[in-house]
Amino acid sequence: MNKTITSAYNWREPSLTWPVTTETGPGMEGVIACETRVAWVDPAGGGIYYRGVPAVDLARTQTYEQVAFLLIEGKQADEHPDEFAGFRDRLREARRIPAPVVDVVRNLPRDTHPTRLLRAGVSALGCFMMSSDEDRYGTRHWQDLEIVGQLTRLVGEVARHRRGLPAGDPACDCSLAAGLLEAINDREPTPEETARLDMAWVFYADHGLDAPAFTGMVVGSALADPYYNIVAGLSALRGAKQGGTGEYVLHELLKLRDPHVARAWARGMLAQGWRIPGFGHRLYRQPDPRVEEIKQQVRALADQKGQKMLVDVAEAVEDEVTSRLAQKGVHANINLYSAVLFHLLGSEPEMVPCLYAVGRVAGMVARVREYLAHNRLFRPLEIYAGPEERSYVPMEAR
Amino acid sequence: MIGTKDRTIDTQTYGRGLEGLRFGETTVGRIDGRAGRLWYRGYPLEQLCEQSNFEEVAYLVMHGELPNRAEWDAWDRELRAWRTPPRDALAVLQWLPTDAHPLMQYRTMLSVAACMMPDLENTRLDAQWQRPARILAWTAALAAAAIRHLKGQPPLPPKEHLGFAANFLWQALGREASEEECRAFEVSLIVQAEHGLHAAALGALLVISTGADLGGAVLAGMGALSGKLHGGANQDAFEMFHALSLGGPGRAQGFSEKADRVQNDGTAAGVESRNPTSGASRANQARQEGAPGLSEKVDTTAVLDHARAWTRRKLEEGFRFPGFGHRVYKTHDPRARALEPLAERMLRATGHGVLWEVYGAVKHEVEAKLGPRGIFANVDAVTGLVYHPLGLPTASFPIPFALAIQTGWMAHCLEYIPSGRMIEPGSVYLG
Repeated sequence: MNKTITSAYNWREPSLTWPVTTETGPGMEGVIACETRVAWVDPAGGGIYYRGVPAVDLARTQTYEQVAFLLIEGKQADEHPDEFAGFRDRLREARRIPAPVVDVVRNLPRDTHPTRLLRAGVSALGCFMMSSDEDRYGTRHWQDLEIVGQLTRLVGEVARHRRGLPAGDPACDCSLAAGLLEAINDREPTPEETARLDMAWVFYADHGLDAPAFTGMVVGSALADPYYNIVAGLSALRGAKQGGTGEYVLHELLKLRDPHVARAWARGMLAQGWRIPGFGHRLYRQPDPRVEEIKQQVRALADQKGQKMLVDVAEAVEDEVTSRLAQKGVHANINLYSAVLFHLLGSEPEMVPCLYAVGRVAGMVARVREYLAHNRLFRPLEIYAGPEERSYVPMEAR
Repeated sequence: MIGTKDRTIDTQTYGRGLEGLRFGETTVGRIDGRAGRLWYRGYPLEQLCEQSNFEEVAYLVMHGELPNRAEWDAWDRELRAWRTPPRDALAVLQWLPTDAHPLMQYRTMLSVAACMMPDLENTRLDAQWQRPARILAWTAALAAAAIRHLKGQPPLPPKEHLGFAANFLWQALGREASEEECRAFEVSLIVQAEHGLHAAALGALLVISTGADLGGAVLAGMGALSGKLHGGANQDAFEMFHALSLGGPGRAQGFSEKADRVQNDGTAAGVESRNPTSGASRANQARQEGAPGLSEKVDTTAVLDHARAWTRRKLEEGFRFPGFGHRVYKTHDPRARALEPLAERMLRATGHGVLWEVYGAVKHEVEAKLGPRGIFANVDAVTGLVYHPLGLPTASFPIPFALAIQTGWMAHCLEYIPSGRMIEPGSVYLG
């Protein structure tokens, strides 16, 4: 590609020829890391498309399992029912992880942050899934699908461990969403609860080349084992500027007693120039279509459960913020209402990044697998701006 | 001009894998790929190898200056104080299968230890600066435990009077290594302490840029390093030399088939049902452990003739030799050059002279053919030749690399935190 690309985000081309020339800025802004057919974020329209299908449409009509199939295999579940059934069964079956992996998690201090517990569990899982030879010679493969199922089980076990519940029983043949809700709340979920979790996961399944996905790709490009990609991706996901946002949002919202307090809090934050978590986006300058959808669904679930306070609080905050900042392109992002949703589904703030991770892993798997099909180790350069050559001085002379 | 401190924009041309992209400025290390030279904070690698030790180099790489006496005392004291990792991190080994790759067991211990770092949710810069000594000291102890676990042996307590390198060898090998052995190992740590923005360092930087803690960043770096295109390369390279040193065409043939698979798998990622059995890995390990005696009985001339012929044949086939060629160096790798005399001395002293000769033969053939295209032996070709005579198991060779290079990752992370934006490149959607 010989023309200059001013913003590599979400660029769309019929084809791409390396090397590329782009304008680049700090934090790799504008840099094209790869080509993809997995998903496209339309910064103008604010929509995200998975394999060409708007995510909002998918969230309304499909389960997370179907969307994982779409992202990873590139096929619509309803057009390939037999293949999808095989995929789904493997995904669900994968929840039967080796008992010692659960022991690893359960033997860690209960008050450790859940993403750390999850990371340790995923790392241990890798030790069981591949022996050292498979790990290194040819037999090593992405156990893609299984990871999605395994991660779901581990998140459930992390939640149970935190609550002092005994290890869960994965024997059920229910969906990933239903299984996880049952693990977290220790009761069978309602169909509405399961459907809302599916929706959140569909929305989180891919969002362009964000930090967890790109970290997974960088690690994958060295041909590391797939569990390691997830471990690394989880580390990136946890960062305060990434998946940690949802946790922070819920944490803050829960402190606000009612909509009046919420409005006052939001006004105060804005007056002092603070950024309010759950608002604004590096890509979008207009309302995110996913937010409207999730907001309606959260409202419906809250009404049904009779737990309206937190959604009232979130709407009050949104109203305060957008009335002042909408003209500057700041709108509620998906983390605002998903935080409320996760709360309604039984999650405390600390568990939010883990719940987010389950959804996110489908897109990660799809993107890493796509990159590995034409792999090239990531290895950028730096500009050296340090001291000129100098000679070693023994300690006595320093 | 790109800067991480301001928001300047530049137009750049780069290839797949971000080849040629200049990410930003650094003051940590400088690599001259054309001259084959490497500096840490301005100090030439060769001088540090001759006069410094790993602890001091680690301080230099992270802090930017060599420590004065008081700084050294504090740093050394802290490194020693953290030599005993959390018991739970060691205990996790009991749940893991012994035939899992030691790097996987090691990283699992790290991910457990990452739950136990004091003040671990604090990501303020001063809290992050508390972590390097803990990470270096803990990881060394955990790595040694992973190596002992390979042989079914329990972890050993540290020895107070030993330095970082010597204590690691004691905890890994269960014997105090000689001064020469310690020095060779120490130099291997020094030459691998920092190497710019390789994939693992980039992985660590990505994680730190999201606002995570330094331990999480090191874990991500470990991930990339565990890949066979990265840290695993020293194991692959050594296994190639080792198979060739055993002489018979059958042996080398066996390797070449395996090596071919490595190459093919390097670009493919199919899905196959997993096979958790590991008889092959045990057999492989047993073969390697039984090897030293064998290697002395074979006819050196025949072994070398065979190694040369095999290398030439594989060169004709376009085989990518593990441990040869580097994205940045287009000439002799200074890290390999620094280690070569140490490797030769140790191999000859332990009766593995033929391994050294085989290395020389393969290197000569590969560089004669590919040198004009900028392909030379890199550090991964040589580290195994230092680690093998020490008695470290082949599968553990990536571990010392990990111990050393995390220093550079931490330096890059600590450098990036104050001014760093979240690293977020884009992708081009085709379709």
